[in-house]
Amino acid sequence: MIVAEGLTKDFRIAERRPGLLGSLSTLLTREYRTVHAVDGISFALRAGSKTAYIGANGAGKSTTIKMLTGIMTPTSGRCLVNGVEPYRHRRENARAIGVVFGQRSQLWWDLSVPDSFRILRRIYAIPDAVYERNLALYRELLDIDALGTTPVRQLSLGQRMRAEIAASLLHDPKVVFWDEPTIGLDMVLKEAVRELVNRANAELGTTVLLTSHDLSDIAAICDDALVVDGGRVVHEGTLTELLGRADRRSVVFDHRGGPGPLDAARGVEAGLPGATATVTPEGRIRVDYPAASLTSRQVLGFLLDRFELTDCYAPEPDLETVLRQIYRGGVPAARNGGGA
Amino acid sequence: MNRTLGGRLRLALFLGGVGLHRLAAYRLDFLLGSGAFLVRVGLQTVTVGVVFSHVPAVAGWSYHQVLFLLGCALLPRGLDHLFTDQLWELSRKLIQRGEFYRYLIRPVNPLFALLSERFFHPDGIGELLVGLVLVLWSGAELGLDPTALQWALAPLLVVAGALIHFSVKLFFASLSFWTVTSMPALQTVTQVSEFAGYPLDLYHASLRTLLTWVLPFAFTSYAPAVYLLHDDTGLLRWLPAVTGLSLLAALALWRRGLSRYEMTGS
Amino acid sequence: MRRPDLRPGGYLPFATSGLQSLLQYRSTFLITGITAAAGAAVTVFLWRAVYADGSGPGPGGFTPASITTYLVVAQVLAVVHTNRVDDEVAAEVYRGDIAVTLVRPLSYPLVRFAACLPVIGANAVLVGVPLLVLFAALVPLTAPRPVDVLLFLPSAALSVLIAFCVNLLTGMAGFVTTNTWGVRMAKQGVVAFFAGQMVPLALLPGPLHALAMVLPFRAMADGPLTLLLGRYEGTAGAAAVLGHQLAWGAGLVLLCAALWRAAVSRLEVLGG
Repeated sequence: MIVAEGLTKDFRIAERRPGLLGSLSTLLTREYRTVHAVDGISFALRAGSKTAYIGANGAGKSTTIKMLTGIMTPTSGRCLVNGVEPYRHRRENARAIGVVFGQRSQLWWDLSVPDSFRILRRIYAIPDAVYERNLALYRELLDIDALGTTPVRQLSLGQRMRAEIAASLLHDPKVVFWDEPTIGLDMVLKEAVRELVNRANAELGTTVLLTSHDLSDIAAICDDALVVDGGRVVHEGTLTELLGRADRRSVVFDHRGGPGPLDAARGVEAGLPGATATVTPEGRIRVDYPAASLTSRQVLGFLLDRFELTDCYAPEPDLETVLRQIYRGGVPAARNGGGA
Repeated sequence: MNRTLGGRLRLALFLGGVGLHRLAAYRLDFLLGSGAFLVRVGLQTVTVGVVFSHVPAVAGWSYHQVLFLLGCALLPRGLDHLFTDQLWELSRKLIQRGEFYRYLIRPVNPLFALLSERFFHPDGIGELLVGLVLVLWSGAELGLDPTALQWALAPLLVVAGALIHFSVKLFFASLSFWTVTSMPALQTVTQVSEFAGYPLDLYHASLRTLLTWVLPFAFTSYAPAVYLLHDDTGLLRWLPAVTGLSLLAALALWRRGLSRYEMTGS
Repeated sequence: MRRPDLRPGGYLPFATSGLQSLLQYRSTFLITGITAAAGAAVTVFLWRAVYADGSGPGPGGFTPASITTYLVVAQVLAVVHTNRVDDEVAAEVYRGDIAVTLVRPLSYPLVRFAACLPVIGANAVLVGVPLLVLFAALVPLTAPRPVDVLLFLPSAALSVLIAFCVNLLTGMAGFVTTNTWGVRMAKQGVVAFFAGQMVPLALLPGPLHALAMVLPFRAMADGPLTLLLGRYEGTAGAAAVLGHQLAWGAGLVLLCAALWRAAVSRLEVLGG
């Protein structure tokens, strides 16, 4: 559904020198520096997938999405959305996609939300049944009627984002590109937005590509993850696989009798070299250990041997930890097979 | 449905309807906007009146002839104002604030999508009204008896004038693709267009040349007015070519700007 | 309500930062200059055509040189009055940033005044003077008497104060309507006409002339110009012009203060 092949975008940036002399010299001789915003990335996302597009600031996420939505042409390489090159067939591509660019509105600034929707209905030639069904859905989940007849420019960020989200799905697009879609939304609305896109995916097979600073958005919506770092793909596969790449594992346990929590923790650290043990606010003990030097078998065996366990579980490595590790360069750039 | 001319026309009509609906919804804004222009052109008319309360003719033009010319200048300006006001936003902030992308994600022509945002902008109505009143009233006072051809051409002249205004605006607004904002340039050009409200004969030859061949505002008012008043077609003959070339130049710059935007994304 | 600090030192930073931000956009001076030159040219061409064939003084006692001087200096004053207070205040009110300014222990109108003073100075030096020189090179102007120049200067200073108040009031329209653009356009038209930029006020017919004499806008161009061109009768005539300016200056300052106070207390009640 979405394919990128050696997709590259370079920008030429004019070098400026500081000070008056500097700006005078820039007038005469311009020096340019080339920045590789996207550096030959390739990936393939299948139809109906829900993929989180993850990368640190400046990793080229927005640039890639701009190329996929047809706003920008690549320097080299190409991408295909729904079988067409977006920047070459922009209008054809526009019919098939829905877009949210976080803070930047795409609605008719001077018009009310209902008026914007009526225009979208015309522009996309949305069938009556589809339009009514979607509007009913937005009434139920986003309380879209509450926005009333206020011009978009006077709406608050949260109100406007609800309208932006609805507008991006109104014409039942085959693919949605959501770049920071939940900015300014409270917990209830975030929940509603997630449900909305999950329903569209389940009922219509809508393909989703999402970027978000809110990792709980990613966890609630996406099955797959595409991680870019330094303009290159460092992970393409399921979210679960991504989490599995964490280099540390954890176990949390509770025990009866024996030493107090602090002594128990000290005892764990002494018995398992490389592991750290901390007491959680609930009075449990959390053991973090490097997956490279200790196996789960070793750790659990040690705990069963030493303590009379009353409760024990192994929390999944969380996304934040994994990502922090990837950005630090802890996980080597490698491509997992899945996803395509 | 938007691929055919008919489809686009229907969409344009629909947008006009939404615009009208908006007028009703925000009456105070509408009254302020069109009222402001009504005040401005009204005072311009009064200025002409004051001039002619002291002298019978200026540069060979009588009171009613000057008013007729002013009316001729206001009609195309108002018509253009009604449909293309969003070009001001392009020159002011759309590129600067990175908002321009939204015209590229719709399955319609980007220029059409841009203009659709201020389709039927009420500010133009004040100019149109005053222009219409001036042309009709001063035409009657002058005992103007247009030929069938003049009647037939008159609306076309207004449309051509509006197209020239649109072209100049589009040209200077498109500069923002390179300069990020081009509002000052557009403001200057608009100020220059004010010259077209008075007879060209008042001005120095260099200014006349500028207004005729560089920023062809003379074709939006002076050329139609001398044709309708004196059946003088000397300048009017050039009108189709000037309108066409202005449009072509503006659209060419717009397209180049658009492809530059696609390259740089800013 | 807090009593704002009124010592001038507190407002100095606003004056310098206003100039700094203005100097970053050097091209705006050029554009203001071209626009003003084009605006002046329209009226100058029009009115010179009226006085074209007269040998002696024409209508209103103007000669071609004196009416040109009147219109050009009126445009120069208009440039000096373009202090951007109207659009900046309107924008701050519209965006709600005005609430933030209330947190500062300074009077907002005075902050605005301090910030616009260097703008006025820069406009006068970088646009007004070149504009005057340009027209002096192209068309004959009247050389004023020294005493009239001495009278003109305080009068021009008063016109700056009045222009500030008018622009502040225009910007405060943002409290009542979202279409401040329309309000500003209307204000510009009315000021240009009733200040004398389009028509020397002496040439207006009876009732319109009477109206123009009463309105405050006369103090923005026609008043100073009456003094500059010596178009007054003795000391009493000059005093009358300055008196009209002083009265309106004081009146507008009081009006601004009162309306600002009302707007602020409404803001404090409604929370912005």
